[in-house]
Amino acid sequence: MRFIATATLTLLLLAGARIAAHHEILAKFDDKKPTTLSGVVTLVDWRNPHAHLFMNVKDPKGTGVLNWAVELESVIDLQDGGWNRDTVKAGDSITVKGIAARDGSRQVWGDSVVLTATGRRVLNVTLTPPPPPLQPRPVPRWSDKQPRLGPIPGGVQGYWGFPSSTVLMEAGTNIKMDAWGLLANIADAPKVAPMQPWALALYKNRQSRFLQDDPMYLNCKPPGGARQFQLRYGVQFVEDRERQRIFVLVGSGNSNYRIIYTDGRGHAGQVGGDDDNPLYYGRAVAKWEGDTLAVDTRGFNEDFWFTNGGLPHTEQLKLLERFTRTDFDTLKYEVTIDDPGAYTRSWSSGWTLRWVANEELPRHLCQENRP
Amino acid sequence: MRRQIALFLFIAACLLITPARAQEGHPLKGSWIGTWGPSKVHSNDLLVIMSWDGKAVSGTINPGTDDIPLKNATLNPEGWVVHFEGEAKDKAGPINYVFDGKIDGLAFHNRSISGTWKSNRESGQFKLQRQ
Repeated sequence: MRFIATATLTLLLLAGARIAAHHEILAKFDDKKPTTLSGVVTLVDWRNPHAHLFMNVKDPKGTGVLNWAVELESVIDLQDGGWNRDTVKAGDSITVKGIAARDGSRQVWGDSVVLTATGRRVLNVTLTPPPPPLQPRPVPRWSDKQPRLGPIPGGVQGYWGFPSSTVLMEAGTNIKMDAWGLLANIADAPKVAPMQPWALALYKNRQSRFLQDDPMYLNCKPPGGARQFQLRYGVQFVEDRERQRIFVLVGSGNSNYRIIYTDGRGHAGQVGGDDDNPLYYGRAVAKWEGDTLAVDTRGFNEDFWFTNGGLPHTEQLKLLERFTRTDFDTLKYEVTIDDPGAYTRSWSSGWTLRWVANEELPRHLCQENRP
Repeated sequence: MRRQIALFLFIAACLLITPARAQEGHPLKGSWIGTWGPSKVHSNDLLVIMSWDGKAVSGTINPGTDDIPLKNATLNPEGWVVHFEGEAKDKAGPINYVFDGKIDGLAFHNRSISGTWKSNRESGQFKLQRQ
C-alpha cells in the first residue's frame, strides 16, 4: 500500500514537472509508457525549442547498443534552471527516467536525468513566479497619470509573464486541463465554451489527437488572440505615446509583435491597400477607460489556434480585451470572445500576469519541423 | 529563349514549394479541387468554393460562365458527413446534382472530401482536396 502511495506521488511529481515545455508533451510522448534508460551520452544538442541528449543504451535483445534521443525542456528554461550545454557531456554515463514516444521510435521525454558518477540530478527545471512584494507597490504612471504598461525608459526593465491561467475557458467554469489545455476528461469539452456543434466536434478531434496538430508548434504560426497572454515566455508592452500606438512584443511568438492603435483610427484602413487581408494578430484599436486600456480587435485570419488547447475560431472573431495594471506587479487581463461563426453566444474569461522585473523578454525562436 | 525557359521553370518551382495556406476554422471553408466522373479513368475536373457565415455553408461549383451555386450544403460533425446540391441547365433541360461525401484528414490543411454524386441523368464518384 505504501509502495502504491509512493509510486502515485512520484508519478504526480513527475507529471507536475512537465510544466515548461513549449508544446504539449503528450502530443508526442505517452504517459502510459514510463521508461528508464541507462547508458552513455553520445551527443548534446543544445538548441531551442527543445534540447536533446543522445545516448547509447544496451540493446536488451542483443549484444549491441541502441541510440536513444532524450527530449528536454527548452534551452531558455534549462538556462533559467542554472544549466548549460556543458552540464552533461558526451561520454558521461546517465540514467534517464521519462515517458516513451507514442510512435514507438527510440525517443523519450526526460523527466529526470541523473549523472551516474555523482548521483546528481541535472537539467531539471522548476518554474516559479517572482515572489510578490510584502506591500503592493503603486502603479507606475506617466506624467498625465495614465498607467504605464511597459518598462520605464531609463529605469526598470521587465515584462509580463507567469499567467495565473494558461488555458482559456469560460469564466465560472472549472474544468481540469493540463498547462497546454489538454482536457483530463474529454466529456468536459462542451463546458469549456459555448461552441457550435462543428466547433465542438473539431475541438474534440484536436483533443483526441493530444493537440499534436497545433500550428504554432508544427508551422511556427503566431499565437494570435488571447493565447499570446497565456504562454510561457510572456509579453512586453512598448508604449509609443508620440505615435499613439502600443507594441505588444510576444515572447513565445517567434519574435513577432502586435500593434494596438490608440489614435482613434478605425479597424479599416490601418494599412494602406491591405484592408481586407485578415491577420494573425487582427487589427486592434484601443482607448483608455480610466485606468483600463480597452482594446477592440477584429480581422483575424483562420490560420492559427487562438487558445492553448485548440478552441476553434473563424474570421468573424472579435476580441474585447481589457488591461488593468492593478498594482506595480500585477496586470489584470479580461477578454470577451465574440465569434458567431464558431460560438453560440459571446463569452468571457480573464486572468492575471506577473511583472518579471529586471529581465528582458526571453527570445524564443520557433524552428519549423524541429521537435 | 533558354533564359525565358529557365525563368519559367524557376517561377514554377517557387510556386510548387509555396506552402499551402492553413485553415483552422470551419472545415469546409476554402477552395476544393478534384474530379468527378463515372470512373477514375473517365472523369472531369471539379472545383468547389465553400464558405461559412456562422449559420450556413454557401458556395459555387465550377466558378465561371457555367457555375452552379451550392444548395442545401451541410456538414454533419458526426462522422464529418458532407452534403451539397446544385441545379444546372443545358439544352436538354435542368440537371439536379446531389453530392454526398465524407471529410478525410480533418486535421490537415489538405483534407479531402470523397463520396458519390447523382443527378436525374447519371451518377458517379467524386473526390475533392482542399487547396
